[in-house]
Amino acid sequence: MRTYFNDLPKTALGASYWIFAVYLVLPLALMMAMSFKDANFIAFPIGNWTLSWYGKVVQDKQFLEASLYSIGIALATTVSATIIGVWIALLVSAENIWGKAVIFALACLPAVVPGLINAISMRIFIRAVDIPTGTFAIILAHTVHAVPFVVIMVLTRLRSMPANLVDAARDLGADPFIAFLRVTIPYLMPALFGGMIFCVLTSIDDFVRTFFLGGYQPTLPMLIFAKVQGGMSPEINAMATIVLVVTTAVGVYAEHITRRSRS
Amino acid sequence: MQPVVHFKNVNKSYGALTAVDDLDLAIAPGQFVTLLGPSGCGKSTTLRMLGGFDSPTTGEIYLEGKPISHLPPNKRNVNIVFQDYALFPHLTVGRNIAFGLELKGMGSAAIHRRVGELLALVSLEDHAERMPAQLSGGQRQRVALMRALAPDPNVLLLDEPLSALDAKLRQQMQIELKSIQKKTGKTFIFVTHDQEEALTMSDVIVVMNKGRIEQMGGPDELYARPRSRFVANFIGQSNFLEGTVASVSDGIAAVEWRGNLVRADVNGTSPIPGDHVTVALRPEAVFCLSRKPEDRPSLKARIDQRVFKGAHTSLTVMLDNGSALVAQIDPVALSHIEGDDVWVGWRDSDAVLLAK
Ligand SMILES: Nc1ncnc2c1ncn2[C@@H]1O[C@H](COP(=O)(O)OP(=O)(O)O)[C@@H](O)[C@H]1O
Ligand SMILES: [Mg+2]
Repeated sequence: MRTYFNDLPKTALGASYWIFAVYLVLPLALMMAMSFKDANFIAFPIGNWTLSWYGKVVQDKQFLEASLYSIGIALATTVSATIIGVWIALLVSAENIWGKAVIFALACLPAVVPGLINAISMRIFIRAVDIPTGTFAIILAHTVHAVPFVVIMVLTRLRSMPANLVDAARDLGADPFIAFLRVTIPYLMPALFGGMIFCVLTSIDDFVRTFFLGGYQPTLPMLIFAKVQGGMSPEINAMATIVLVVTTAVGVYAEHITRRSRS
Repeated sequence: MQPVVHFKNVNKSYGALTAVDDLDLAIAPGQFVTLLGPSGCGKSTTLRMLGGFDSPTTGEIYLEGKPISHLPPNKRNVNIVFQDYALFPHLTVGRNIAFGLELKGMGSAAIHRRVGELLALVSLEDHAERMPAQLSGGQRQRVALMRALAPDPNVLLLDEPLSALDAKLRQQMQIELKSIQKKTGKTFIFVTHDQEEALTMSDVIVVMNKGRIEQMGGPDELYARPRSRFVANFIGQSNFLEGTVASVSDGIAAVEWRGNLVRADVNGTSPIPGDHVTVALRPEAVFCLSRKPEDRPSLKARIDQRVFKGAHTSLTVMLDNGSALVAQIDPVALSHIEGDDVWVGWRDSDAVLLAK
């Protein structure tokens, strides 16, 4: 009895964790289950199971085009956000730079500004400077949003880097650029990799910024949103399931790689 | 011979703090030179200026006769072994050592050969494919040394490279370092705050204090002929006798010390009668006898403390004039204990006058 009471808080914690976990997973599981339903409406019971919705989705030209478009935007965002993020992190960590705190604060601002505000202000901005809505504007907005995360990840790694490493490279004949390329970049690799995966995932996931800045061509979230407007169907569930599986796989793989390179 | 490294009136200030103060230092090629001094005396700053990581506030540094202050680190033919080794964590041992060779544009076959030779020099031939994290402290130390030697620098700089090792390994590495220096014939400039390390390895010791050179010379010379109280205390131990010069003849000064007349080598100074001076006297130069010797001067004393130290025994004796002296004796030769009377003395040439 006694031990039972002593263990009670722990048991309660454990139990509430599992309730929470079920709450997390159940909606996803339901969504995935419905994608296999052999009927064009969503309701229990599932009745007959089918893979036909997946067959339909992978042949859906709209879906494939939207996927490619999203991936293209994600890659462009990743490249530009990584370059800008690393550059800002180096500036902030350099010794003799004036106004470091200001640079850092400005770079991080987009991470705390609500997405909607960010989107509206960007919309006003591109109108003011005559950039048309569309691909370039979307990439611009996604990049602004992703940069702070790259900066923080790279900066954290940079702070743990022994100052002597670059000195040693310079001592052995490397000019500043070679030392950066052959010592600093490899050292930053885990942070760069993590930051890039983050950029890809947030860009693919982004709806609000894309909605305000996009042109006629839909990205994946915009396409799914448009389809939902026309009524839910297992086809949408199949699309969402594909997106979920792919992004989870990318996330797990990234986690695996960073963990391995740390040990 | 032209010095391989020459600091000419080099100053380095950080704001109001003077880290290196009017340093004038010429180093002959092929020597093992040690910069010795307490923490914060400017040793690392001196080394970093030579490596190109700091520039002198005023003055100029010459490497083989050419001024180098304006050159970046990668354009100087000197290499550093850093205190924490600074091995590149993402490269294997072999690639770490090859780093400087690749940047010199050496062909891959030649690099392979040279890396093999260097690893053989420290018996790490079969570790070329290991990562630095898989090595022990001593092995990392050796790899860092070989990486710095690989590009064949004129001068190798070592900033307290042994301080992270345990005592046993440190002694072993001291011997290894010295033998590598002899084998390669290169100039080593070694920084340490450990006087024993300096005495063990150096051809020349440069004792530094507060950014200045206190004294420079061979280990035996510095030990036997310290010029200042700082050196006499920093290298080994000393008794200090403060008195007034009574007379000087043949390089030996007679010093009036608390009512006794003691004799000491003038040690390069030119004292005149009446000068207030300090005499330094090593504990092992002090003899203790149970009877007053006929043939040499001695003073009567009483043993205050007897401490067994293994190979020798340390005696603190109280003289009739009220001052204490520390003597280091052979425990077998003198069995007297606390409270016993003894006669103490020293050879004239073993006591030295200090310049300051
Ligand atoms: N980058 C720096 N900025 C300010 N002061 C410094 C800097 N580097 C060294 N110093 C100061 O210069 C003095 C000498 O330092 P250093 O050469 O590292 O001494 P050592 O290596 O003999 O211990 C110290 O008082 C140290 O605090
Ligand atoms: Mg130092």
